[in-house]
Amino acid sequence: MSGHSNLLSWILWMPIIGVLGTLLIPRSKETMIRVWSLLNTVVTMGLCAVLYMKFDITQPGMQSFFTIKMPWIKQFNIFYHLAVDGISLPMILLTSLLFFICILSSWTIKKQIKGYFALLLFLQSSVFGVFLAMDFFLFYVYWEVMLIPMFFLIGIWGGENREYAAVKFFLYTFFGSILMLVGMVALYFMTGQGVDSFNILALSGGQFTDKTVELFGFVLPFAKVFFVALFIGFAIKVPVFPFHTWLPHAHVQAPTAISVILAGVLLKMGTYGFLRIAFPIFPSASVYFADAIAWLGLINVIYGAFCAMAQNDVKKLVAYSSVSHMGFVMLGLAAMTVQGMNGAVLQMFNHGTSTAMMFLLIGILYERSHHRWIIRPDGTKGFGGLYTQLPKYSIVFIIAMFASMGLPGLSGFISEALIFLGIYERFTTITVIAVVGLLLGAAYLLWMFKRMFFGEVIEECKSYTDMNAREIFYMTPLCIAVIVFGVWPSPLLNMMKASVGKLVSLLASFS
Amino acid sequence: MALRYLASISHYIPEMLLCLTMAGLILIESTYGREVKGRAKGMVYAGAYLGLLATFVSLFKTMGTEPLQIFTGSIVIDSFGTLAKMVMVVGTAAAIYLGRQSLDIYEEVKSEFVILAIGVLIGGMLIVSANNMLIFYIGIETLSILSYVMASLKKNDERSSEAGLKYSLYGGITAGIMLFGMSHIFGVLGTIQFNEVIPAMAALTKTQSLIIMPAFVLFFAGIGYKIACVPFHMWSPDVYEGSPLPVTNFFSIVPKIAGVVALVRITNTFFGGDTSIVRETWVCLLMIASALTMTVGNVSAIGQRSVKRMLAYSSISHAGVMLLGVLVIDDLGARAILFYAVTYLFMTLVAFFITSFVQDHYGNDHFERFNGLISKHPLMSILMITVMFSLAGLPPLSGFVAKFNILAAIIAKKYYVLAVIAVLNSVVSLYYYLKIVRIMVFKDAESDETIPGFGFSNQLVITIMTLPVLLLGIFWEKLVVIAGGAKIFIQ
Repeated sequence: MSGHSNLLSWILWMPIIGVLGTLLIPRSKETMIRVWSLLNTVVTMGLCAVLYMKFDITQPGMQSFFTIKMPWIKQFNIFYHLAVDGISLPMILLTSLLFFICILSSWTIKKQIKGYFALLLFLQSSVFGVFLAMDFFLFYVYWEVMLIPMFFLIGIWGGENREYAAVKFFLYTFFGSILMLVGMVALYFMTGQGVDSFNILALSGGQFTDKTVELFGFVLPFAKVFFVALFIGFAIKVPVFPFHTWLPHAHVQAPTAISVILAGVLLKMGTYGFLRIAFPIFPSASVYFADAIAWLGLINVIYGAFCAMAQNDVKKLVAYSSVSHMGFVMLGLAAMTVQGMNGAVLQMFNHGTSTAMMFLLIGILYERSHHRWIIRPDGTKGFGGLYTQLPKYSIVFIIAMFASMGLPGLSGFISEALIFLGIYERFTTITVIAVVGLLLGAAYLLWMFKRMFFGEVIEECKSYTDMNAREIFYMTPLCIAVIVFGVWPSPLLNMMKASVGKLVSLLASFS
Repeated sequence: MALRYLASISHYIPEMLLCLTMAGLILIESTYGREVKGRAKGMVYAGAYLGLLATFVSLFKTMGTEPLQIFTGSIVIDSFGTLAKMVMVVGTAAAIYLGRQSLDIYEEVKSEFVILAIGVLIGGMLIVSANNMLIFYIGIETLSILSYVMASLKKNDERSSEAGLKYSLYGGITAGIMLFGMSHIFGVLGTIQFNEVIPAMAALTKTQSLIIMPAFVLFFAGIGYKIACVPFHMWSPDVYEGSPLPVTNFFSIVPKIAGVVALVRITNTFFGGDTSIVRETWVCLLMIASALTMTVGNVSAIGQRSVKRMLAYSSISHAGVMLLGVLVIDDLGARAILFYAVTYLFMTLVAFFITSFVQDHYGNDHFERFNGLISKHPLMSILMITVMFSLAGLPPLSGFVAKFNILAAIIAKKYYVLAVIAVLNSVVSLYYYLKIVRIMVFKDAESDETIPGFGFSNQLVITIMTLPVLLLGIFWEKLVVIAGGAKIFIQ
């Protein structure tokens, strides 16, 4: 394909136009603010659809048709460099879809609507920035900028303990990313400050394999030391086991839409970081640490599942299930095989849709019940017999739950199966234990479902109304995605195949 | 000889202008001060701004000119020093503005504040361009003695008097120590000229090098005290708290920037091309000092109840970050420091301005006074949030770029451990900067009353000062070029 397109810039800046618009609309015109934000996300979705149409799935690596590269700071060779490939495209599509749905689900927000929608759209732009930036500096800027709207969105519109959760989230992720900053600057000087010193694509390929670094008088391999620095940065975001403690707090306190974004998109930024930065730049170190990554992933799967099982707060349960599911992604990454990696990227997308559904459904229920206890702290049941009271709601819930569980025919199954196929040969023990994690997943979800939806209808639940038209409307695309990609995943797989294959062959040459 | 002196004066116009301004202001104040208070004060302010503006313009004109030594080599005029002086002039002008608005400075000593501030500025400009130990010492003393007076401007207040006393006692001791170190250096090297130190040191034997090392440590104590780096920082929290707020604001900008910039010049002149054991000691000293300064400053800032005190500790930690740019001893470090100085100036000014108006209204500046500020003064709160995030080093604000430049300078020299210490410190600092953001945004206001200090003109000034913080975060290429072009003149 010849020619050139500014489409990526439009996608990146469209939400900012939305922010400016919301700021200009007077505070009192609440519906107008909502409609404007919605229209803005619709336009963004349209742009992303165009991107999908024009995307050439046969081409591995970045698509030159869309690449935009302009100098930003010449002294440091920093560029405004946007590009898209088969790994980032699914994430971009997911982002545009989820933000559209989140705007719809935030229709009921009452407090300071103007600020809320402005921050939400600002967040969208920075998320796009992370997935589109191919300049390490630009990537870092967006990676950090994203924390600011998140901090306020959790801190102002969150639950009771929102301040603590917001600060914890901010500090944790800031800690991770700041280590990445050191790694980034070290790479810059290691490559000799040339034109491509911040170019993620040019840094890739394992040129740092033989370099060394001196720390406290010890000579250590450069790649391994800085792989660890980047790993911590991304692992906090995923979150990988010892760094996961911010997640339950942030999820429980965040308003529904923000939980959806957090689980649906932001967690994927961590694994995207591995795929885009840590693995391609340090392939030798990635291969070296593959065992460790796989074990950490396994801990995530099992530990997350057990934690989820112990929760009485249904939102916390789903939050821990995210920890468990992101463990599968880590396993797929550690496999470094074609199936494993494809499975990981597919799981990133599928988890985005299924968890988003779960959080949205919990949000819908919360608007009616104003609590989320499966079992209240005083031992009584929080919900009971919802199935008879809310039939439509229950059907959607079942779809979401089964998708999340990995039931064949729904999207989660395909990606998990691919991941297991990919890792079986290399990590047989881990695979066997991880399958238990799948079983645990089914256990905690079904157990939760049993306690909430079956049994005697408790008095409180009788007054709940079923899903309204708006709620059904925004759940529909996700339901379709979950079912369609469960039986026919090839559109997604074809999209990512070429790019993932390129990464796998790079890693294979180092193992 | 006399002719050469006259020729030197022609290159020394900015400082002369300031001296004239100061003398003129003293005359105005002592002539009219008693009778027509209002008009005299107006004249003092007009005179001060006029003098500062003239100084700024003449500094601006010298920016591009060839570097040279004047007054028989005791003073260096180069673009590095000139840029730093411009930053200091802007800082002084802003501090004077705040001094006029603030209620923390008594009505009858407002003009004294102006005069003293200009005096400190002259001292600061002297040490920034000193090329000779005696000039450097005179500069430090000019700056210090006037600072002691400024600290105790609130005459009836016990804490202010305590601040002045503490400052002067501590300052007197360190000045003595520094002078002792200088005499030692002179004894071994036989010169007090900065630029003659390198050749003199090259001729030293190993034993002589060992002898001179402690002398440099003593010399460092004098500068370290001025920029409040650990372990010479003990005075600063009390002095910063006891002094009136505009004075604290002034202290955390002008003397600090002057000290750091002078330290850069000294370090680069002494140890620029040199790889002796003395250089190693000096770098090691700076490394320990900067790591300690960042850490102690940040950790102490966490527990503070008063915003002013928190900002004082945060300025200690920022001095630590700037020391990182000193210890690399190269152009990259010098450039990073100048960039840092410019951004630090605006961030600090905005933070202190807002705190000052809040304090004037409530009588104290505890964190609770900021509760729910965003509902009463949204613009001011957003600007405060911006500078807090910028101080913590979050992109896309200028504080991040400044930190990035410093990090780049030290990582280029492969000081990875120091880099990690620095970035971990910025996580710690984010915690206390977030505290104020949190209080302003998440808490409910104590009452509906607005703060009268935030009038239109004050809001305008604060907004204008925040613009560089925002713009330099994105369009920072120009400033990097300017700062990079401002080279230190080493013969």
